[in-house]
Amino acid sequence: MDNIIEIRNLVKSYENGHIKALNGIDLTIREGEFVSIIGPSGSGKSTLLNMLGALDLPDSGYINVAGYDLTSNKKLNKFRAQKIGFVFQLHNLIPNLSVVENIEIPMFTSKLSNKMMRKRALFLLDIVGLHDKAFQKPSKLSGGERQRVAIARALANNPSIILADEPTGSLDSKTSVKILAQLIDLHRNNNVTLIMVTHDMAVARLADRVIEVLDGKLVSVG
Amino acid sequence: MSFLKFIIKNPFRRKTSAILSIIGICIGIVVIVALGGITNGLVSSFEDTIHAGGADFSISGKETGNSAYGTNPIDANWTDKIANVSGVSEAMPIYVILTSVGNDYMNTLIGIEPNGTSMADISIKEGRMFENNSSEVILGKIYADANNLSVGDSLKVNGEDFKVVGIYETGDSNMAGGVFTSINKVAEINGDNNSISNIYVKVDKGQDPQKVADKIDSMYGDNITTISSVMEMEQMADMLNTLKASSWGISLLAVVVGALGIINTMLMSVFERTREIGVLKAVGWSNSKILTMIVGESLVITIVSAILGSVIGFVATTFLGPMMNVTPTFTPDIFVQAFVVAIIVGIIGGLYPAIKAVKLPPTEALRYE
Ligand SMILES: Nc1ncnc2c1ncn2[C@@H]1O[C@H](COP(=O)(O)OP(=O)(O)O)[C@@H](O)[C@H]1O
Ligand SMILES: [Mg+2]
Repeated sequence: MDNIIEIRNLVKSYENGHIKALNGIDLTIREGEFVSIIGPSGSGKSTLLNMLGALDLPDSGYINVAGYDLTSNKKLNKFRAQKIGFVFQLHNLIPNLSVVENIEIPMFTSKLSNKMMRKRALFLLDIVGLHDKAFQKPSKLSGGERQRVAIARALANNPSIILADEPTGSLDSKTSVKILAQLIDLHRNNNVTLIMVTHDMAVARLADRVIEVLDGKLVSVG
Repeated sequence: MSFLKFIIKNPFRRKTSAILSIIGICIGIVVIVALGGITNGLVSSFEDTIHAGGADFSISGKETGNSAYGTNPIDANWTDKIANVSGVSEAMPIYVILTSVGNDYMNTLIGIEPNGTSMADISIKEGRMFENNSSEVILGKIYADANNLSVGDSLKVNGEDFKVVGIYETGDSNMAGGVFTSINKVAEINGDNNSISNIYVKVDKGQDPQKVADKIDSMYGDNITTISSVMEMEQMADMLNTLKASSWGISLLAVVVGALGIINTMLMSVFERTREIGVLKAVGWSNSKILTMIVGESLVITIVSAILGSVIGFVATTFLGPMMNVTPTFTPDIFVQAFVVAIIVGIIGGLYPAIKAVKLPPTEALRYE
């Protein structure tokens, strides 16, 4: 199978080079793969994920994701809109919008009509099992439900890659299991590449491959 | 949901702050609309008077007496003397007497020369002008309507049947209800061939009416007087120009103050939504879309202010104006001015916060607590 992600000697530092968040990363990921990223806090996991999603540019090295060269600044928003679905630790839903409207937010970058946007958003809510909550405000939902809305939002533009940064980090373990099961289902059913940062070794082992990050370097590729 | 609906919803998440901004800009708009309406009202009422007779100024007898216009008649040969003063382009006599007209025992009958319509600032809307020295009259539209008269009807003047040959309109409210016939006919009715009431004077192009009037005053001031009210109109015009200028001045002030208020409101709003803007970037929104969103939100606030301010300004001035003896006149340009100001404020006020939002690095926005 083709590689959807290719990274060579990627370096990223913050605070004028004082903090080496990524210190020479080499990594390839195949299309449709499920990869877990583990490592202690501050080791550079989120930074790596942000590089993959083109939320930030590297200092040096090579990074190509879904055919986009992410070392240059060109068309990054189009890349994010079409190729990437982010799920953050915090749901980051917009409080004054209804659940279904929140899912429509990424679709403003597409050419869908308002009607088609609504149709697709409701379809995605069906997939995450929240059809009946479509017109509620996020504040009326439980933590797990909000994270499911965030997952539906990540799927809005039918991405090739889902980047999940500790998606269950703020949920209890029972809810976490449900959310993870949902993410893994989506990955399997749609052949979406899933890259997930997690603390939980048991969760990490569900993946095709576990990567450990330590001080901005990959220490083991299992 | 449409992008527009999303933009319209956003400013009202922070209700107090949105309402405060709206009140601030609204006040500016109310002042612009009120001042515009009052200025326009003054302009049109003065323009009525300035255009009285379509002349630059008029001349009357020196002493006040018991004539219809409050001054004694003057000798008819003054018309030629005034016409010969250098700088005078035209001098037209007008003779106003009181006599029985129609059902009125006493009414004013105004005599002018048949070719004097433009000087008298009247224009025939129906029928034609009267002929010289004939028993024909033209009526002001208001008089004709009030007395149910139309072209072809007859009207008794001083016991004689006159034929209504025309209906005129005029910008001069003093003349709108008048009855005109030829000046010779008036002289005949009055039995006095040598008198006239006033002379309307038009100066040569490029001449200052005030200077010409002063010259006439110094030459013939012992016998006649130039009616200075026409000149006062010039001062009035100056005052109106000042009012108009101050209306723009206040607009400018409203732009500056309003823009500062909006910048503050929108900066707060961008700051509070840092994470959210990070999410918008993460889901692929372009910088221009984020810019459009923030400037759009700012415009929502200012346009709501413009609508409210226009309505409040219009209603308040319409009701309060008459108490100050002004009848405000609202023309579309006043509201255009109000909305232009609001839109400028919205764009200026939204742009800086929008640029701030665009420049936020998404990773930092998402790390923001
Ligand atoms: N935007 C940023 N500005 C400054 N320092 C940052 C930024 N992002 C990450 N860092 C620093 O880079 C290092 C790696 O951070 P991160 O990738 O978030 O770690 P992890 O996700 O593994 O906990 C940390 O020391 C963190 O403080
Ligand atoms: Mg992290």
